[in-house]
Amino acid sequence: MTGARRADRRAALLFLAPALAMLAVVSVYPAVWVFWLSLQYRIPIFDVARFAGLDHYLFLATDPRFLNAARVTLTFTAISVALELALGLMAALLLRGQTAGRQVALSLLLVPWALPSVVTAKLFEWLYHPSAGLVNFLLGGQSHNWLGDPRLALPAVILADVWRTLPFVALLCYARLLGISPEIYEAAQVDGAGPLGTFRRITLPLLRPVLLIALLFRTLDALRAFDLMFVLTGGGPANTTETLTVYAYRSLFQTLQLGLGSAIGITVFVLVMLVAWGYLAALRREAR
Amino acid sequence: MPSTWIALALGCLLVATGCSDRADGRGPITLVFKHAKILGPSDPVPGLLREFEASHPGVKVVAEALTWSSDEQHQFYAVNLEGGNAGIDVLMLDVIWVPEFARAGWLLDLTPFVSPAELAPHFPAAAEVAVLDGRVWALPWFMNVGLLYYRKDLLDKHGLAPASTYAELLRQVALIRSAEGDPHLDGFLWQGKQYEGMVVNALEGFWANGARVLANDGAIFPEPERAEEVLAFMREVIASGVSPAWVTAADEELTRRAFQDGRAIFLRNWPYAMDLFGQPDSPVRGKVGIASLPRHAHGTRGAGSTGGAHLGVYRHTRHPEAAAALVRFLAGEAAQRAMAAGAALTPSRMDLYRDPDLVRDHPSFPAIYALALAGRPRPVTPYYLMISTMLQPEFSAVLVGIKTPRAALLEARQHIEHLLRTVR
Amino acid sequence: MRRKRHGVDALVLLLLCAFAVPFFWQILTSFKPDADLLRLPPVLPSRLTGVHYMAVWQRSVIPRALVNSLGVAGITTLLAVALGLSAGYALARFRVPGAGALLLAVVAGTAFPQIAIVSPLYLLIRFLGLRDTWTALILADTSFALPLVIWLLTGFIREIPIELEEAAALDGAGRLRTLRWITVPLVAPGLLSAGLLTFLASWNEFLFAYTFTASESSRTVPVALALFPGVFEVPWGDIAAASILASVPPVLIVAGLGRFMVRGLLAGALRE
Repeated sequence: MTGARRADRRAALLFLAPALAMLAVVSVYPAVWVFWLSLQYRIPIFDVARFAGLDHYLFLATDPRFLNAARVTLTFTAISVALELALGLMAALLLRGQTAGRQVALSLLLVPWALPSVVTAKLFEWLYHPSAGLVNFLLGGQSHNWLGDPRLALPAVILADVWRTLPFVALLCYARLLGISPEIYEAAQVDGAGPLGTFRRITLPLLRPVLLIALLFRTLDALRAFDLMFVLTGGGPANTTETLTVYAYRSLFQTLQLGLGSAIGITVFVLVMLVAWGYLAALRREAR
Repeated sequence: MPSTWIALALGCLLVATGCSDRADGRGPITLVFKHAKILGPSDPVPGLLREFEASHPGVKVVAEALTWSSDEQHQFYAVNLEGGNAGIDVLMLDVIWVPEFARAGWLLDLTPFVSPAELAPHFPAAAEVAVLDGRVWALPWFMNVGLLYYRKDLLDKHGLAPASTYAELLRQVALIRSAEGDPHLDGFLWQGKQYEGMVVNALEGFWANGARVLANDGAIFPEPERAEEVLAFMREVIASGVSPAWVTAADEELTRRAFQDGRAIFLRNWPYAMDLFGQPDSPVRGKVGIASLPRHAHGTRGAGSTGGAHLGVYRHTRHPEAAAALVRFLAGEAAQRAMAAGAALTPSRMDLYRDPDLVRDHPSFPAIYALALAGRPRPVTPYYLMISTMLQPEFSAVLVGIKTPRAALLEARQHIEHLLRTVR
Repeated sequence: MRRKRHGVDALVLLLLCAFAVPFFWQILTSFKPDADLLRLPPVLPSRLTGVHYMAVWQRSVIPRALVNSLGVAGITTLLAVALGLSAGYALARFRVPGAGALLLAVVAGTAFPQIAIVSPLYLLIRFLGLRDTWTALILADTSFALPLVIWLLTGFIREIPIELEEAAALDGAGRLRTLRWITVPLVAPGLLSAGLLTFLASWNEFLFAYTFTASESSRTVPVALALFPGVFEVPWGDIAAASILASVPPVLIVAGLGRFMVRGLLAGALRE
């Protein structure tokens, strides 16, 4: 190795060192530690700290509450992401067609995405108020108990989440649409393609990569979603909005069972990794 | 240069950590007293604290309010007291937390500061909870017991005495409602929201049917069929309309207010409500009676759950003597008398219930005294709150009709077993 | 044709206004007097009042929480950008063995669920005695901010033609000088985007803030809002006012500097 190469190498390590050191402490170490924690009985306030082996995982495998939480998580993810993609795409198309007032339109669209999730939760908690909420009022004065009815709570949470995140999808699609030169559309028009045909055969294929990225990001985010359901319903009523993340948090900090809570957190991690891996595998298959 | 930026960032970090530290007080002692909001016509606590400051020169007491919900208070404590520098000196504790906080090492051992005779004047249930492993960890402050409120005027009108069984209660509700013909009159109000209060209601139901959550040998739900019956009953009163649907989202205050507006015949609540019903502008003033909770078919008698609050000292307080003195002062007779006179609170000292002045202002004190003596404590174990947190979603699912009582009890048992395995 | 286009334009704008109604409703609520709050109709209040904002500003912990949020988000951003620039430059410019794998690992770090590392972080922070401090939150937020910034900046720096730096090297400039005087000005928009995204993410962060803060010494705005005290009835008007105050910085950032955010997101997301 030449002296310059070696100096290069040293410089590289020097530049990398601070960031890597920080990540080692706050990301890598905890990520490894949580696996170890999930194999322990650990309740700090009662000084419980002993090896549990796979007991927590065996418990979760037959735990109806865990299976319910998994079901809620997957339902929430599937419906949420589908709606976000569809509505976000529509919003992007509408925005693309705007000739005037685009900045205003973009700002209006992005506001929900900018808000902290807790603000959104409080917003919707007020909207869903049985007697003073706008939602019931707009439905003609009905008195649905959106956040207290076990059949309505999950749809209510999904609606709030879609409102909050479709701007992100819209933004991605909109930026991609901006990159499509208008000549392609003009050529299609000359060929006699109608708006639907243009959409199906030109726009959609060009948007495909962006939609797939949006699908990946949104799916990963939805699987890990916590803030909204925790603040809006606390996982209730009767665990109908308790996702795996909320179940994990409650086990960790309500019943203070760090071992069990860590095990549930690991299952969320596994779920996320499966989705990411599946996505990458699909990508690789396509590239071939 | 990255190095300058790193230095800048680190410098900011150092300054920031300095900024967020609490100022260290030197000079006069300041005690921080955390307590929940005191309900009632007046709040005697500030006056009492000034009195304490006057008799203890050099000590200043700062009172800080806690959030309203007991679960949130517990969360706050659990998260804060672990650190070792919570900045609290005296805390008001729900009676169910005392064994837990003592075992967790968050309370100062008060045995050196308290003479054994000091616990004698308090209700036995309250005194028992304050002692763990032979040492005193808290002093009782006020006492609670679950009881049945009823509309004396409506029952008298139909020549009825307050129901002693739940079957009788249902009959009385049907009778009165059909006679009154008032569509806004609810039958039976109680707390069914998913929180500790609902577990209390469920436990009172269990005891009224001869069932328990924990047996002495550690068995969970040793009488499962009786427990199932109670849960089914609680669901049935909602489904049949004896209790309004909003009971599943109701806590003490919501039900108290509805009853005070004259919209219900029976109410299960704590003694504090009685003072509020007797206020000058209350629509039910003079129309409310109290009785023991009814029993179910398999029980021998109805029993209210005992409750209330204790006062404890934070283990890592910087001023143990002053803090212990404050606790003993507030738990003492003069302070409890002032609390009972001004606030809607029932004291933990038994002889105050026979005090002529207090009884004159609170005529129901003798009745409450008898009920409190007959009351039953929730399981006295450091793990009670964790168990309650596992019961809440299960029972709640039964009340809103999405789970059968049997499935709920089965799942609850699974969770509690896993917990007890962990702590064994 | 022109008229039809204007008509459609207006319709779309109206649609987007309807989409943003929840936010506007909250603004309206924050100015509604208490008497008008608990019943609908009337939708519009009889008069507007600033009493909720006064209550929040004078009697709640929100002002202190705003300071905490500013401090935590600001320092996290500075730290993440500083460390991220350094690492990104190394990954983009130096021939580091295993750089690809390292970058992939870093990206994987952004996918790691917060709920999974909150328990070990809790134990770590407890062990270091950092409960209820800004430092705890800054460290926790860095765990997700730093990978994101590294990923974005690596992409941005790679975009800059290396000839410029090589020219500087030929003129005798060292690595650091090149970085400071050539690369940084060129990657400034990317730095700004990464910084704004980090600030936004840290400001809005809830899970770590809720777990690691205990009092108003370090409580950030989302937590203060979630724990907004209500004695009996929930103070909807005050909560609305607090929500609007909490939203001001993020909304300003996104509305005013939306263009940079778009650039930042897209550059990272669309450049594999």
